[in-house]
Amino acid sequence: MKFTVLQAGRVLFWIHRKTKEGPAEQPCSARNSMRLVRFLAKRLMHAAFVLIGLSILIFLIARVMPGNPARMAMGPRAPQWAIEKLEKQMYLDRPLPIQYFYWFKSAISGDFGDSLVTKRSVSEDIIEYFPASLELAIYAAVFMGIAGVVLGTVSGWFANTWIDNLVRVIAYIGIVTPSFVFAIFFVLIFSYWLELFPTIGRLSSGIDGPPVITGMVTLDALITGNPAAFWDGLKHIFLPAVSLAMGPMAQEARITRSSLADNAGKDFIAAERACGIPERTIMFKYLLKPSLIPTISIYGLDFASLMGNAFLIELIFNWPGLSRYGMNAILQKDLNAVIAAIMVFGVVFVIVNIAIDLAVERLDPRIRFRTGG
Amino acid sequence: MKVLLKALGGIVVFTLAFSCIAQAADRPLRTTWAWPTYIDPAVGSDNSSTNALGNMYDTLVVPDKTGAPQPHLATSWNVSKDGKAWTFKLRRDVKFHNGDPLTSSDVKFSMDRMLTIGEGFAHLFSGKVDAVEAPDTSTVIFKLKDPFGPFLSTLFRLYVVNQKQVMANVITPGPYGDKGDFGKKWLVSHTAASGPYKLKEFKVEERLVMSLNTDYWQTLDPLVPDEYTMLGTTEAITVRTLMSRGELEVADRWQSNESLNALSRIKGVGLAKINGPGQFYAMIHTKKPPTDDIHFRKAMAYAMDYDTVTTHLFPGTTQAKGPIPRMMPGFDDSVFQYRRDLDKARAELEKSRYYSALDKNPVVIHWIAEVPDEEKVALLFMSNMAEIGINVDVVKVPWMSVVEETAAMDTSPHIVTIFDEAHYPEAAALLQSRYASPSANTWEQNEWLLDSTYDTMLEEALKTMDRESRFKQYAELQHYIVEQCPTLFMFDVMSRHAYRSDIMDWPAARGEVPPVQGYELLGRYIKIRK
Amino acid sequence: MAVTRILTTGTAPNRGENARRNWYRFSRNPLSIIGLTMVILILILAVAAPIIAPHPPSAGKFLNFSMASRAPSAENWCGTDVFGRDILTRVLYGFRFSLMMVVVVLSLVVPVGVFFGLLAGYYRSTWIDTGIMRITDIFVSIPPLVLALAICAVLTPGVFNAMVAVSLMWWPWYTRMVYGVASSLRGEFFVQAAELTGAGKWHILFKEILPNCLSSILTKMSLDAGWVILIGASLSFVGLGAQAPTPDLGSMVAEGSKYLPDQWWISVFPAFGIMLVVLAFNLLGDGIRDMFGTERG
Repeated sequence: MKFTVLQAGRVLFWIHRKTKEGPAEQPCSARNSMRLVRFLAKRLMHAAFVLIGLSILIFLIARVMPGNPARMAMGPRAPQWAIEKLEKQMYLDRPLPIQYFYWFKSAISGDFGDSLVTKRSVSEDIIEYFPASLELAIYAAVFMGIAGVVLGTVSGWFANTWIDNLVRVIAYIGIVTPSFVFAIFFVLIFSYWLELFPTIGRLSSGIDGPPVITGMVTLDALITGNPAAFWDGLKHIFLPAVSLAMGPMAQEARITRSSLADNAGKDFIAAERACGIPERTIMFKYLLKPSLIPTISIYGLDFASLMGNAFLIELIFNWPGLSRYGMNAILQKDLNAVIAAIMVFGVVFVIVNIAIDLAVERLDPRIRFRTGG
Repeated sequence: MKVLLKALGGIVVFTLAFSCIAQAADRPLRTTWAWPTYIDPAVGSDNSSTNALGNMYDTLVVPDKTGAPQPHLATSWNVSKDGKAWTFKLRRDVKFHNGDPLTSSDVKFSMDRMLTIGEGFAHLFSGKVDAVEAPDTSTVIFKLKDPFGPFLSTLFRLYVVNQKQVMANVITPGPYGDKGDFGKKWLVSHTAASGPYKLKEFKVEERLVMSLNTDYWQTLDPLVPDEYTMLGTTEAITVRTLMSRGELEVADRWQSNESLNALSRIKGVGLAKINGPGQFYAMIHTKKPPTDDIHFRKAMAYAMDYDTVTTHLFPGTTQAKGPIPRMMPGFDDSVFQYRRDLDKARAELEKSRYYSALDKNPVVIHWIAEVPDEEKVALLFMSNMAEIGINVDVVKVPWMSVVEETAAMDTSPHIVTIFDEAHYPEAAALLQSRYASPSANTWEQNEWLLDSTYDTMLEEALKTMDRESRFKQYAELQHYIVEQCPTLFMFDVMSRHAYRSDIMDWPAARGEVPPVQGYELLGRYIKIRK
Repeated sequence: MAVTRILTTGTAPNRGENARRNWYRFSRNPLSIIGLTMVILILILAVAAPIIAPHPPSAGKFLNFSMASRAPSAENWCGTDVFGRDILTRVLYGFRFSLMMVVVVLSLVVPVGVFFGLLAGYYRSTWIDTGIMRITDIFVSIPPLVLALAICAVLTPGVFNAMVAVSLMWWPWYTRMVYGVASSLRGEFFVQAAELTGAGKWHILFKEILPNCLSSILTKMSLDAGWVILIGASLSFVGLGAQAPTPDLGSMVAEGSKYLPDQWWISVFPAFGIMLVVLAFNLLGDGIRDMFGTERG
């Protein structure tokens, strides 16, 4: 039973990672950077493989959908000749593998076809909508990171007091409440009753938006020195970001708390305490850093759930982001848009995972760059 | 840690202190709509699109309160004796937003472009308009294949685009041969228009902002809105929040009763009830068992509780009488109207060939996800039908899926409930779009009537130039339709809008609105007092 | 054979003592007991809904506009919705669908996921391992909800299809978890012993390795139950799950949110319903994890 428990623990705590620790060796920096390059190369190859597989999967799902994409694109009253022409253009008269091949070819060059709903090219839509989603995700991620760690640390610091219990209750509420419930009630309380925050969009209609540089309103406003737009943008993003982050934040808090508790029982902490090092120093200098490793590991997975839940949040807040775009595309069977939007999520997810692996390695010298999985 | 908490606290306080910095136009008109909105005159045809097009583009003629055509871009017109050639004289002082003069070749181009692309309102003209000629810059002649009685009324839908500007933005190669994409890509988010409002900002699926065209050729009232915003949301809580904060002047027509009640309690907000040129139909598939049996359909028509619909679900509406709404020129009052009568319903059901196997023949009713109140009708239908033993499955379907599934006979559901409106103010508009064979594969006809007798009758009616005898034929057609019972005629469309009655003078709210879709909220007829 | 059996179960204590020890570990935390009680209670409520519910017709094809939108009262504890249906009744029936979702999804997902996980783990570093694990890589590379939404869009919306969609994206997580355990066990003494005694591959997979994965599978299942309900609620929130008039908690919240804040009870009680059932499974899951000694998270 012993090994099962240990292994299960590890697997649960970071599913992505296959545990196979190499012999500990003292790193020298040259070897380290070599290893980094090799690690990155391997991860990137793996990422490419995953993304191609994902594209095949999504392409199949989209093509199984009933309905003729050409007719849908041209409208119900379009003349037959125009539809047939578009079918040829979209290779719909060819077998699936060939269709996929042509789709892949143009997708590589950034051409995902036209959207049925917006009547524009999908890549144009994505360029417009993605920064909004990214901005939302970044704010949510920052909030969930900071609030999660703070709550977890507070809870660990005041372990087994009423504060600890309070945090635990908050964490449970965060975990069990669907994000859309948070969103609805936040709008109700903070926008409707208290009138503190706006309800829809990224900027109020009276405010002139900053020129598009990154596409992220608050960042663009900062770059161009437009405090009014920055402030307005910040107010718009606050509620959606918080409702999005509540669930994962609770997760982070719980993990930080339990990992603090685990490490607090370790010998090295007892040793430090015996040496008379003040509790505060132990906490922030020696205890917190290793305890954050599982938190950061889970951060990647939480980022995924964040992007997933953004679908509902963006819908409720009318946030003009890629998730809402993808959601509408799914509801309205806008195939090109569905495929492209999901692919973008795949790419983001893969990148975030690699970044998280690198971050974990920085924090924990015991974990070497692993080249597997 | 404390520093961090302090910082967070600071942010919150800061938020409270600066929670309202808004700088807006002097007389804004902000409205909410069901998206998508297409501002390409050859693509858009639904409610929000026609509103946007009507605000930004000009047409040759415009309807007055009764729907009769009045001069607009055209100052005068005449029709040849055989009814096949319509000649229009155009104003010479009209300029597009970019300064180009509007000439007859732009009119010709607009018609050609619409016919080539084949989307939007093209069905009103395709097969009818043979050629357009522009003998001089201020004369345009439409040559028709056959005489077409209501032609003048259909011209409300010919929005004139700037040929030079569109052709400068064409992408080649495209699906339309040497015309490339005919400017379709560009016109998705740009306009080439001459109307009273200019496109200021267009965020797809989010908002459309138009500013007043101060160089407009027609004199507008000084109190017309100077900025017109169309927001792409119908989310009840959002609409309500915007309205209560004074950031919305007119709410969309898709708000539920509950939402409207709440909205009208806000200070300064009134309720406008606007009769629309349309009807709420439950379209029954006439070629799919069990609804292919006329007795089965009649049984449903007798079992439906219309009174609950008009009193509880859509209060203030009137049960429809036949396929044409009452306000529409050409409506016939003498057609039969079904009333709820369970005995008659059972009697009809017994005559149907599915009577012995009702449980094996469930009826599937689709309602449109974007219109929450439709669910109530669907559920009421379900419980009404359960009373006579018909099994009903209710399915919520997004609008685009309805468009797609109604394109083929076998994917069309037994029943789909849809608000449909006439595209021009004459009964023929609905008689054609709802029941003529060419429209069978569109969302406007789930009935799949495919009745050649009806088609011939309708064609004859449309060729009749004399209004009175044309209307007589419309009456016959209405009787013909009602006899087949292909539809549950629910109620005449009445859109209810919560609006700022304290600052707005809105003719449509007083009942002054032409029976043409998309004319109730045109900015040029509305005055804002601050 | 006897040797391997003893090795797999460790020191081979008698069953009764094992159960007692497990119960002790489980019940150490009062929250686990609360969770267990809640799950049992919700199960009873759901199963006995037709008897307990104050107004069973409300869950079916029923409308009564004269009772529409009543606030909570002695007659209707949680009020009525815009169709005049009793909300408490619909929440109780809603539990049925949530629980059914959990049962169907998990019973589809766990066997499939576990089977592939065992296979890949045992045949580690062969083409079987590579094939299976690369496929799971693809599935876990996008957020589960996104994929479920896409699959739902292909199929016609409905309870069953929502379950299929959730299952399709869920099995790889079990595969990956079992893979981790199985591949590390492969080199263990008892597995090698079984191989030496000439045991068949299937015997080793299901009789030697599988029992050692059970505790982690069970823990994951109890924690996943809450997630399945949340995802199901999200699907119905956007209209891709259960269809009217089926009482489903997610779609009840979605519909009710249109009538906020005046008729708050229409959406608030179903929202509480979701929270309650998810909380119950989470507490239970934590308890089971404690029982097996896995670290708390």
